[in-house]
Parts: sequence; C-alpha cells; structure tokens
Amino acid sequence: MSRAARRTSIWNAALLALVFVASPPALAAQTLSVNAAGDVLHVKARDFAFIAGPLLNRLKEGRSVRLDFELTMLSKPEGPTVKQVVQAFTLSFDLWEERFAVSRTGSPPRSISHLRASDAENWCLENLTMSISSLGIGRDTPFWLRLVYRVQDLEPVPAETPGERYTLRALIDRLSRRREEGDLAKSVSGGPFRLP
Amino acid sequence: MARRLPKRRDMRTLALLVLLLGLPCVQANAQEADAPEGAIIDSVEMSGFSPYSLSPGLQKEFDSLVGTPLNRERLNQLVLRIEGEQPEMVAAVRSVARPDGKAHVIFLVARISEDTDLSENINARYLVESVDLEGPSSDVSQQLRDDLQKLVGKRLDTEEADRLKDRLEKELPGRDVARRISKGSEAGRIRVVFEIIEEPWIRFAPTRSKLIYHAQQGWSGALDFPMSSSRSRHRFTAGVVFNDIDELIEESSGFRLGFESRMLGTEKLGARLDFARVNDTWEDATLSALALNPTVPELYRNRLTFEPTVTFAFSPSVRLTGGVSLSDMESLTHAPDSQKANAWVAGISADHTWGTDHGSAKQRAEGSYSLRAAVDGLDTDLFYKRHLGQASYRFEQGRSEAIGSISLGYISGQPPLFERFSLGNSTTLRGFDKYDIAPLGGERMFHSSIEYRYSHVAVFFDTGSVWDRDTDAKIRYSTGFGVHGDNFFLTLGFPLNADDATPIFMMGVRF
Repeated sequence: MSRAARRTSIWNAALLALVFVASPPALAAQTLSVNAAGDVLHVKARDFAFIAGPLLNRLKEGRSVRLDFELTMLSKPEGPTVKQVVQAFTLSFDLWEERFAVSRTGSPPRSISHLRASDAENWCLENLTMSISSLGIGRDTPFWLRLVYRVQDLEPVPAETPGERYTLRALIDRLSRRREEGDLAKSVSGGPFRLP
Repeated sequence: MARRLPKRRDMRTLALLVLLLGLPCVQANAQEADAPEGAIIDSVEMSGFSPYSLSPGLQKEFDSLVGTPLNRERLNQLVLRIEGEQPEMVAAVRSVARPDGKAHVIFLVARISEDTDLSENINARYLVESVDLEGPSSDVSQQLRDDLQKLVGKRLDTEEADRLKDRLEKELPGRDVARRISKGSEAGRIRVVFEIIEEPWIRFAPTRSKLIYHAQQGWSGALDFPMSSSRSRHRFTAGVVFNDIDELIEESSGFRLGFESRMLGTEKLGARLDFARVNDTWEDATLSALALNPTVPELYRNRLTFEPTVTFAFSPSVRLTGGVSLSDMESLTHAPDSQKANAWVAGISADHTWGTDHGSAKQRAEGSYSLRAAVDGLDTDLFYKRHLGQASYRFEQGRSEAIGSISLGYISGQPPLFERFSLGNSTTLRGFDKYDIAPLGGERMFHSSIEYRYSHVAVFFDTGSVWDRDTDAKIRYSTGFGVHGDNFFLTLGFPLNADDATPIFMMGVRF
C-alpha cells in the first residue's frame, strides 16, 4: 500500500473506531428497568449477566465467590446521590447437581439453591431493593439508577490450564482476554425513571 | 443420566445425613439399622420442615407412602421434589428398620441459610473423599499434612479448610495457595485440592504475537505458537512474522523459533535459544536517507539470527542475562556477500509488584538495562556497543490506571540497521511516523510516556528524540487518546511539534 493510500484510509478506520467505541455505552444505557411491589423498589437489568468468564470458572472449580452489589439512586445522571444500598451475596455451584446456590448475607440471611445461572443472577437483583418510603421523592420526580457489582475474596488461580494452549477456544480466549479484574466488576446506569 | 440419578441421590442423602445427624431429634435414631428395600412403611416423618408447607400433590404423595413397600428410588424422587419446591432447603431421606420388620421413613430437611458452611458453599453438603496438595509441596510439614487429612470423611468445613489454607501459606512464604473442589470418584463425594502456586524465578518471555495497523505504516503482524503446559519448565515457540514494520526500521517477514528453559537444575538458572530468519524490505525514505549518509552500514535482503542466552535469577524479581547474538545479513546490492554482526549480550532486569489484593491499589515497577557489544573475538564485521535502559511504573486502582515509562539508548561504533533506535510507531511517539523522524533510525534515543486510563479510555503524552552522534537532538511531543487495554488498542495520536499535524490512527491486538 502506498503511503498516500494509507493516509486516506485513516478516515475509514477512524469511523469504524468511533462506531466501536460509541456503541457499547449507547446500548448499555437501555438495560435497566424498575418496578415496585408495595413499599419495595426492585430493579431489573437486561443483559447484565455476571455468572460468566473467570467468575464462572471459579464457581465450577467448587470455589465460592462473594459479590458486592451497589444500587445507587441519583437525582441526575451523574449525581447527586439520593439513596444507596449495598448488598453482598455468596455464590457457589453445586458440583453434583450442576446448579447454582446463592446466599444473601446480612440480616435476615436468605439462601437458595438449584438455580440456573440466569435465575441466580435474577435472584440477586430481586434481593437488592430500596424502601420507597425512605427515598423522600415524589412520583413525578425523575431519578437515575446505577447498578454496580464487584467480585470479592478471590483466590489466586494458575494463569493457564494445562493442555489448553493449542485449542481454537484457547486462542480466541487469548485474543479476547481483557484484564481479569476488569471482568470482575461491572456497572450499568439508566434513567430517567419515575416511581411506578 | 436417568439411571445415574438414584445412585447420585443415594450418595447425597448419605452426605446430608451426616450433616443432619447433628440435629438432636435425629441423633437418637442414628444408631438404628437401615430398613431393607421392600419393607412395608408403617410411618413417615418429616424433620425440620412442616409437610403442610408442601404443595397438595406432594403432601398427598408423602401421605401415601404409609403401607407401601420401601422403594428408595421413589423416596429419592420425593426428596428431589421437596428441594424443587423449596429451593431454600436441602433434603435427605432415611429409612429405619422397626423390630417387627417394618420401616420408619424420616425426611430430613434443613434451611441452607441456617447452616454457615452451606451458605458459604453449597458443596459443603457433600463428604470429603480426599484432600490433595498440588504444586511444589515438599516443604509442607507432616503435622500440617496430617491436619489436612482430617478433613477426609466429613462434610466440608469451609472455615477449617480456610484455616488450613492460611497455614499452608505461612509454611510456604512467597507462594500462593488456592483451594478448589472437584467431584470425587463417587457421586455425593468431593475432592478438596490445595493448589500451591509458585511465582517462577525465571519467567517465560511474553509471546510477541500481534496484528497492528498504523495509518502511515500499514499492517504489521506476527504470530507465536508457544508449546508448553502451565507448569512446564521448558517451552518451545514457533512463530511467523509478516510485514512487521512496527518494531524496526526494516519491514521483515519470516519465521522464528525459540526454546526456553526456566529451570536448569535450579529455579535460579534458565536458558533461551532464539533463531530467526527474516526477509527484509525497505521504505523509500530509508533508501533516500541512506544515500545521503554513507556511514550507516549497507542494507540487507535477509537476516539470520541465532541468540543463545543464559539467565540467572538473584530472586524472583531480579535477573541477570548473558549470551551472544550472532547475525548474518545478506547484502541487498551485493548478494551473496554478507556481513556479520556478532555481539555479546548482557542485561539485568528487575520488577516488583505491590498490593495485589483485589480491591486495593496495585503498583508495578519494572526496570532493565541491556548491553550488546560487537567486539573483537566474535568474528564480526561490524563493531559497536549498544546500551539500552528502560523503566516503567504502573498504578491501578479501581477503573483507573496510570502508566509512566522512560527509555534511554546509546550506541557507539557502527551498528547494523536492526540495532539502531527508532521512534514513531504504535508504542512510541504515537502521532508521528518513524520515517518522518529518522528514516535510518538513530544512535541516540530518549523517550518517555505518561498515560492515564479510565475504564480503558486512555489519554497519553509522549516525548522523545532519536538522533545520531553528529546531529542535534530534536525533542518531539505527541498526545492523543483512545481505547487501550492490556491486549488491544485503538488510538488517535496527534504530533504537537511537527510540520504536518495530521493525526495518526493506530489499532491492534497484542497477545
């Protein structure tokens, strides 16, 4: 390729890059929704799968994993904070039943087992609630929500699994691998919402 | 699968019985014998849960057991249905033989949240079949080994297992220990593995696979295939290089082979053999510049390099490397004439990481110095000494990362083109084109870079200069932004003091 041709291709490549960079946040903004049951505000998050990647690998090795969830209500997209709740969950994977178990820490503790991955994820969100009466906002007041989870208490794991270096999957994993810590924390925001 | 289920259920029942036998109401019955298959059930009891909380269908099934022959498969199916209806509970069943030959059936139900171990890890319901150590475990004391074996035959006590893991880490300083569980040889049993992970004193060199696009220089690619397992002491790497213009002044294509050993008798001693053969092509800018600078050695059409080195590690953080680099370059204009560039190589490197615990700030500092000296005694045609010092620092906290690096290079004598320094690619002076800065490279080099990333969105500022001994250094500055990860980048770089201020787009993956 001539140097002149390389220069002209910059704009095509830059346009592609712009699409690549701009798309994920734009899509992510649409994943949160809220509903109310009595005085309790629930949040639902579409495409907020967290039982995947390194976390799933740890669970399938029989390790338990603690997840800290943080649900923040904001009066504007970037704050200030109206209310924040933090809830920790412990996940494990029943090696013989091949189903997930989740325990909610704190008081009162709750636990459940025999769940598929998506059901376990939903159970965590169902148990992450806000009391509507404690919010102090009217039904016409718009608010925004930010949902964050972080994986805690991780034990060290070997970098590679023996015998997996030459598989196509291993190659794809290497190509698509991001920094592991980045996979173990995630945030999604949405709004404006109003109290149902 | 359907045939396996009853056995699996039986074993899990046994495990749960062990768990539930701690209940006083059950303990009295624990000494009694199991009822034989086919014995008539004269009574049914549910312990730990009210049968009236079950669905009407399941209650009816539960009530209908009395008067029927004992069928363990049916009982196990009922246990499954109880757990299906009550996922917050775990259940098991036991049948006790009456003196009159009839059977008393007890369903044992427990709330998961009321058991700390089960809440922590649902696999605590299973019996530990074995406890194994994996990795370098010769330093583990016999007392600790005995204590580890005390976990066998009981349901998993996660607190005790964690205490044992801590004891292992105390006995094995500098090593990490991970605990994992896997299925045992029989259903309902688990195997506990304490995996000892040792940071090697000598690490394998990172693979150099990449696919990079630079708007001024085009595509560069390399693909390495390392062949080893994670715990192997040796590694063989085969790689291909295609149109790699990103690294050096030359554009090279060819192949490379490497063999590494990170443990030669001792973990402190390693060795590496590298062999590469590449065909080279040259940019017009390089050809033009060479015509004006006769002191630079002639161009070559291909290059053959063999580089054996030995590494000695003073500690897992500090390593010393020495060896030779033998290169044979076939002349571009007078083939088959060739020139040799044979040099002693020596280097020292150090690195240190702080705060690796998740959630805390993590810092990593690296530094290295290398010398390549082509001197008498190595049958070389070109004589030179090449010094390169590099240092970098990285700070990570949450989604934020700050990265700083500095490089200093100095060459005396008459180095071949592949040894000359070059700036203006996808990692240095991003925003400049190396062929605009120094199409022949240079004998002196200085470069520094600072970069800040937040959730992979990066901004950077690069400073650098490459020049020859008889020319003045011109400091260049560039800045830019992009999406940067450990394996990928998408960058737009802006030269700040260039005649042509056209931004340069770069993207690629390194793995």
